[in-house]
Amino acid sequence: MQRRTFIKTLSYLGAASAFPFLSARGFAAISSAIPVAELPELKGELTLYLGRGEGGLYEDVLDAIKKRNPNFNLRIRRGPTAALANMIMAEAKAGVSQADLFWAVDSGAIGQVVDAGLAQKLPGDLTQQLQPEFRFSHWAPISGRIRTLPYNPDRISAAQIPDSIMALPDTDLSIAWAPAYASFQSFITAMRLIEGDKATTHWLKGMKNKTKQYAGELGVVMAVERGEVDLGLANHYYTLRLKSGKPDARLALAFTKNDAGCLINASGVLALKEGKTATDFIRYLLSKEVQTYLSTEAYELPLAGQLPTPAGIPNLAQLSPPNVDLTKLADLRPTINLMRKAGII
Amino acid sequence: MKFALIQTKKMVASLILLASFSTFSVLANGEVGEHVNHLTANLKKYEEEVNWLSSKTEGIIAAYQKSGAKAAHAEALMEHWEAVDFHAAIETNYVLIYASIWQGLYGVKDSIDNQSPIENVKVEQAKLEKALWQALGAVKMAAKYQDDGLLTKVKTTVDAPKNSIEALAVIDTNLHSVVAKYAEKLIDTSTNMVHDTYLNLFEGVEGELIALDASLVEDLEKDFNVTLPKAIKEQKSVEQVREIVLAMTQKISKAKALLEKNAKNKKAVF
Repeated sequence: MQRRTFIKTLSYLGAASAFPFLSARGFAAISSAIPVAELPELKGELTLYLGRGEGGLYEDVLDAIKKRNPNFNLRIRRGPTAALANMIMAEAKAGVSQADLFWAVDSGAIGQVVDAGLAQKLPGDLTQQLQPEFRFSHWAPISGRIRTLPYNPDRISAAQIPDSIMALPDTDLSIAWAPAYASFQSFITAMRLIEGDKATTHWLKGMKNKTKQYAGELGVVMAVERGEVDLGLANHYYTLRLKSGKPDARLALAFTKNDAGCLINASGVLALKEGKTATDFIRYLLSKEVQTYLSTEAYELPLAGQLPTPAGIPNLAQLSPPNVDLTKLADLRPTINLMRKAGII
Repeated sequence: MKFALIQTKKMVASLILLASFSTFSVLANGEVGEHVNHLTANLKKYEEEVNWLSSKTEGIIAAYQKSGAKAAHAEALMEHWEAVDFHAAIETNYVLIYASIWQGLYGVKDSIDNQSPIENVKVEQAKLEKALWQALGAVKMAAKYQDDGLLTKVKTTVDAPKNSIEALAVIDTNLHSVVAKYAEKLIDTSTNMVHDTYLNLFEGVEGELIALDASLVEDLEKDFNVTLPKAIKEQKSVEQVREIVLAMTQKISKAKALLEKNAKNKKAVF
């Protein structure tokens, strides 16, 4: 008999009180997100390296910050997150560092730069604004995304879904996944860090015969909705977006407990040079308004203050993500090797 | 005459469209050369090159007629085309005709290699000639736009699009380039372009788009991941691949209109 940790169809959006069995873990008291009206005016000039974000929403945030601060000039260099991280490290090595800030969609890339000793320490009052499990000395997570199990309620019931990701190969469920996708590979990296290489290889091999591959995770969610499979492995926002465009979509979300299956990964920012303007700029990204905007428009999880999660996702206190150092998720090479060894890619 | 007018109008529209997006042009054929940023100064040279290509084609066909396929060395057609600067001028400015030129080159080459009757070879030659001269017309028009400051300087590096609407513009250009590369018989290159365009560009757009029109995203998902790669893998004709791409670009236009409308209604951050 499998016990569900948390399961919730999207028709019960936001009804957190319906799940009293969920235990709060680690998300203790934190300060409130600061409204932008209470932040200092930005003055001077900064260069931001911006890793590819969700559509143009990060750009909207940057435009709004620029508009609000007429005496502030922001130069932006855009590119794939991993390429910009490499560029930052190459520039530092050559002594020609140009970026003041790095805002990356993937915490793994942030980890590379932090590990190279290039990030500045952030003030304590800034990191205190974040949820306790997302406080780091040299970078600030901006918004999060959680791994989920989207399923088709016409094909299976919630009770058929295990609350452990490691138990999935032992079920008779048909599953959609996107192994070539970066978020999936971060998830496998987290599994490797938590469970070890042997167990992860065993899991991949066990899953191989019950899975159908898709190029991206929106494709995974759409396949679940069409009823091609019972459930899928995907970041949470694909389901929310599909439900937004197709409210009657046959989709519900399930979450595992304390394992890589409910990993929360984050976008993040770090300062590469000392200075008040760079630190204050990060405060704008953690402001109540920016956090709310990213949550309502991009369906990302706000990580500063105690702001509500997007409709359809339980509050962070009700989820049980694993304890994983997010900055270690950049270590993809062993993951790729392991996936190759298991015959997945 | 009416048809020619419609074609010209289409070409003007495409050039203007390309002008707005050319910052993101992606070229797969090595160095472009600075001459593409000085089209007017090079028009005479381009015209000479088109004449030279015509004469070379004529020579190959004459050799075929006189001494057969082996003596004709039809493969030299591609070498001649790769050698001229006009190649980059049309690729950077009007990739749709660029694809037709490759289609024409292979039309002549294949008909010779297959030892087709000379009448058939000349039909293919006429198609190639038409594409070459149309291309010269397009480059002349692009030169005018460039002189008027309406064409962005061609970059050999790629800037990341700033938002979904810009990403769709790059996707549109890339899809036409897929046809061009397919017409060049670069099967792996065209397959990789489809894959990369999906993963690096469309995948970033579809999240925003699916909230506006889920079935449109579903259609394009299938086009990117099944229909187009399958047609390329099965080596369908250039016309069939072009037809799939044109249907996709129509859907991309629809997506662009939806995102533009949505941008006007977007909530303010502060």
